[in-house]
Amino acid sequence: MAEMWINMGPQHPMTHGLWNLRVKVDGETIVDAQPEVGYLHRGIEKLVEGRTYTQVIPITDRLCYGSSLTWSHLYCLTAENLMGVEVPPRAEYIRVAAIEMQRIASHLMWLAAYAADLGLMLGFIYTMRDREIFIDLLQAMSGSRLTYNYPRIGGVAHDVPPNFERDALRACSYMEKKLKEYEDLFDGSKVFMMRNVDVGLLKKEDAMNLGVTGPPLRASGVKYDLRKDMPYSIYPELNFEPATHPDGDCYARYKVRMDEMYTSCKLIRQAVQKMPKGKWRVVAPRNAPVGTGLGRVEDPRGEGVMYLVGDGSDRPYRLKIRSPIFVTVSAAPKMLIGYKLADVVAIMGGLDMCIGETDR
Amino acid sequence: MNLFEFCYGLIHWLVDLVNNIWYRLGDWLPWWFGDFFTAVGDFASSHGHIAVMAILLEVLIIIIIALINVLNFIWLDRKYMGRMFDFYGPYYVGYRIGGWLQNLADGMKLFVKEIITPAKADRIGFFLAPVIFVGSSFLALATIPLGRQFYVGTNADPLSTGVEASALIAFAFFAIAPFSILIAGWSSNNKYTLIGGMRSAAQMMSYEIPMLLTVASVFLLAGSFGFMDIVDAQHDIWFGIPLFLGLVTFIVCLAAEVEIQPFDLPEAEAELVEGWTTEYCGMRFGLFMMTSYLRGYIGGALATALFLGGWHGPGFLPDPIWFLIKAYIVFVLIEWARWSLPRVRVDQILNIGWKRLLPMAILNLMVAVLLKTAGWF
Amino acid sequence: MAQKKKAKGSGGLIIRPMMRSGKQVVSSLFKGMPNTILYPYQILDLPPTYRGKHTLDFKRCIGCGNCVEICPNDCMWLEKLDDPELGKIERPGVDMGRCLFCGFCVEVCPTVALHHTVEFELADYRRDKLKYGPKDLRDDKFADKVKEERTKQRLPVLDMAKCTSCEKCAGACPEMVIAMMPVENVGRSKPEINLSKCTGCEKCVIACPEKALEMKDIYESYFEMPEPKFALKNCTGCGACARACPADAIYMMEMPGTEKVLKDGKKGKPKKRAVFVLEKCVGCGRCFRACKFEAIEMSGVRK
Repeated sequence: MAEMWINMGPQHPMTHGLWNLRVKVDGETIVDAQPEVGYLHRGIEKLVEGRTYTQVIPITDRLCYGSSLTWSHLYCLTAENLMGVEVPPRAEYIRVAAIEMQRIASHLMWLAAYAADLGLMLGFIYTMRDREIFIDLLQAMSGSRLTYNYPRIGGVAHDVPPNFERDALRACSYMEKKLKEYEDLFDGSKVFMMRNVDVGLLKKEDAMNLGVTGPPLRASGVKYDLRKDMPYSIYPELNFEPATHPDGDCYARYKVRMDEMYTSCKLIRQAVQKMPKGKWRVVAPRNAPVGTGLGRVEDPRGEGVMYLVGDGSDRPYRLKIRSPIFVTVSAAPKMLIGYKLADVVAIMGGLDMCIGETDR
Repeated sequence: MNLFEFCYGLIHWLVDLVNNIWYRLGDWLPWWFGDFFTAVGDFASSHGHIAVMAILLEVLIIIIIALINVLNFIWLDRKYMGRMFDFYGPYYVGYRIGGWLQNLADGMKLFVKEIITPAKADRIGFFLAPVIFVGSSFLALATIPLGRQFYVGTNADPLSTGVEASALIAFAFFAIAPFSILIAGWSSNNKYTLIGGMRSAAQMMSYEIPMLLTVASVFLLAGSFGFMDIVDAQHDIWFGIPLFLGLVTFIVCLAAEVEIQPFDLPEAEAELVEGWTTEYCGMRFGLFMMTSYLRGYIGGALATALFLGGWHGPGFLPDPIWFLIKAYIVFVLIEWARWSLPRVRVDQILNIGWKRLLPMAILNLMVAVLLKTAGWF
Repeated sequence: MAQKKKAKGSGGLIIRPMMRSGKQVVSSLFKGMPNTILYPYQILDLPPTYRGKHTLDFKRCIGCGNCVEICPNDCMWLEKLDDPELGKIERPGVDMGRCLFCGFCVEVCPTVALHHTVEFELADYRRDKLKYGPKDLRDDKFADKVKEERTKQRLPVLDMAKCTSCEKCAGACPEMVIAMMPVENVGRSKPEINLSKCTGCEKCVIACPEKALEMKDIYESYFEMPEPKFALKNCTGCGACARACPADAIYMMEMPGTEKVLKDGKKGKPKKRAVFVLEKCVGCGRCFRACKFEAIEMSGVRK
């Protein structure tokens, strides 16, 4: 059969979000690949310029709706850096607990979509059911299930609900038990291994040169986690080890994310048990000084950066967002060429694409 | 009592009932019409023509049983899948019978949809593909007997066992399906369906061979090509026990033929939307879905007849019920594996077919040869 | 393609996943119900912090419009109403079609009059039915049932109309929180209370002979609201700002010595000027919008 270009998307059941992947196939083998993003551009960086610093928080929530707490927390870090606000320690611990819960929920949603793409509906249903536990906890804290609007410049919006420590510890034990069961379903299944091992190899040098961050980088053997290397908030006081894996294939990316869920459970336990008493919010100034602020976090998908320019009034002058997936998707051709058309699902699914943050 | 005798008696009684009125009508009418009516009445009540009508009624009964079983299969599939996934299956439609009427509701929904033919599609091929698919599956169904007395056949020979060489014919009809899938995929004028059709044809053709080799081992042990003889030869011990390898191979090949996960890459939702059935709308799509389950039923029936002893069982239930129970058990086993495993990639499917199942089938054949020469069958 | 190395952890072939799903079937059928909530026949159990439909307490609301200002999506408006008990009032309404249920309006309300309930079934057939006016949102009893999170303190509130500048309150305060500041051109001084240092001992309230100080529950404010700045030379004493202020923070005081001599020799009324009691100000900006002579300046509030 002659070589032909196939369009996977923008309307497609496989692609999570709205983007187009053009692959050139020769029979069943992929010869070339071209990802096209930009279909979901909503102009967030422009929307931010007409609103006050507080009104921007719900907008940053909607950047990546899969893990929205990470982005609003990043914005609050950047704004606090700009205005020079000091956050009380209780608020920092609450933030870390919420972020790690959000990380588990985001990874579970990734696992659900990944399993469903590979044809295992069972994986989808089980992981969504377990994600509900964490979403319910976050709902009791903040009031909403997907876009929480919880961090504020100067702390968090409300205090934790009563019995939070008991519920959080219960959720962590439940999750660790379920992770062992997922090993039965995924690691113990020969078919899953056949689909994932030795598929979509990304070498260490390629990953570092292309600017890939997050789990795909750690799955290629590079030990780089912003929570350990450039810590923010109270991460220096918590002890954990970032997960890495030496191969660079799809199975390694899967394993890194599963290990990250274990790490997050440990972090939640430590944060919840060490939480001091006190205020959870301070009043932030209304007008920002003339200057710039920078914030960097470890998003579940990679490294996110925000850069805020203030001009003395109560509205930002410019907000620049760096999204991890925007950079990681450019590594797609390296990972796809040479494999079969049926591997596209496994490889692109392993990158955990959330188009909301790619296109902003 | 034979199924044929039952139908013959029924039709005979019906024809007599109608002829009562018919002859009287003929007598009442004047000159030429009366003779006409009498001639028609005599024609209808002659032995040959009642036999024809009896055979048609037999076929109708088998089809109705098959369709009801298909509905049951779909219901059982959804309920079982529901409990495996930790939710209820169909629940509200037909609330008191466990949601059984959901299938009828879904079928009715498919009926009222608009039927669209793509503009550049090949009209004849597009139209014929479902016809061939459904037709060949029903033809395969007609040759399978459900009980010692329950088969489509006549009483011409008292020792007859339905169609001669019925198992061979059943497999022959079963194997026509890849053609219709290829026609469906190609005539839709769509890149995706073309890929889906090609993959499906490759998969089906490469799984025919281990399946037929396994069946050949059963033919060897039973000494005949007909279902009646095969099931009769299992009255001591089911063939599934010495030929266990063959049973496993047969069930795996069955799953691949019927395109059930983990072998359903031709219909893979994640990449090819619906695969080779993408461009079919309304009840045409419904026919494909129904025939998929019908082939599942046929496969289960074949597995039961060949390996699991057919209708042999303790005598407190009639034969067809035992047959159906065993077919359901095979189906439940396939469903269990279906929802627990991800999809296998297409070159890995062909790998499994040629490199793993073919040696197993040949090994199975050697076991059968050994058993036959040892004189135990 | 054949696997060259043994895949890690695939010892189960297909048995382990099938055992897992089999266990789930058994537990769904025999060990309890499946994980489904049969909505709408079973009720969802939502936490009290859930952000659903708003509810407004007419008596607590002062009609300041802070919620209208802070809404990120412009979904609220103020409606003029004529209430039999409360007279001519302005209360906010919400357009549920645009609302993102972010909770800012609830957080910024200075008197905690707006709350979120757990009601979320708000779908309707027409888009204009989604605009909930103040009367649709009214529930005067909700705030008493719900547990409040914002801390409140009992603090003294000044009514400048009754104050005679006798300075007894400043003398009575043990913490020296009250300072008497002179007001320009009026010849009197006004007590300014530093509310963040007040302990609530109520000695100033007892000391005031005119009962100009009163203890009220003041809620903690999470946001820094803009403050008005006054330019005296532009003020004509029209009193529009005092009428517009919802929190009674502006008083018109007479400036002695500014009476005009009328044609028949009698003295006219003296001119007035606006005086701010900034402790009561909620930062709504209505004085800024009402003043036509540019005597009030507020940055960050649109006109």
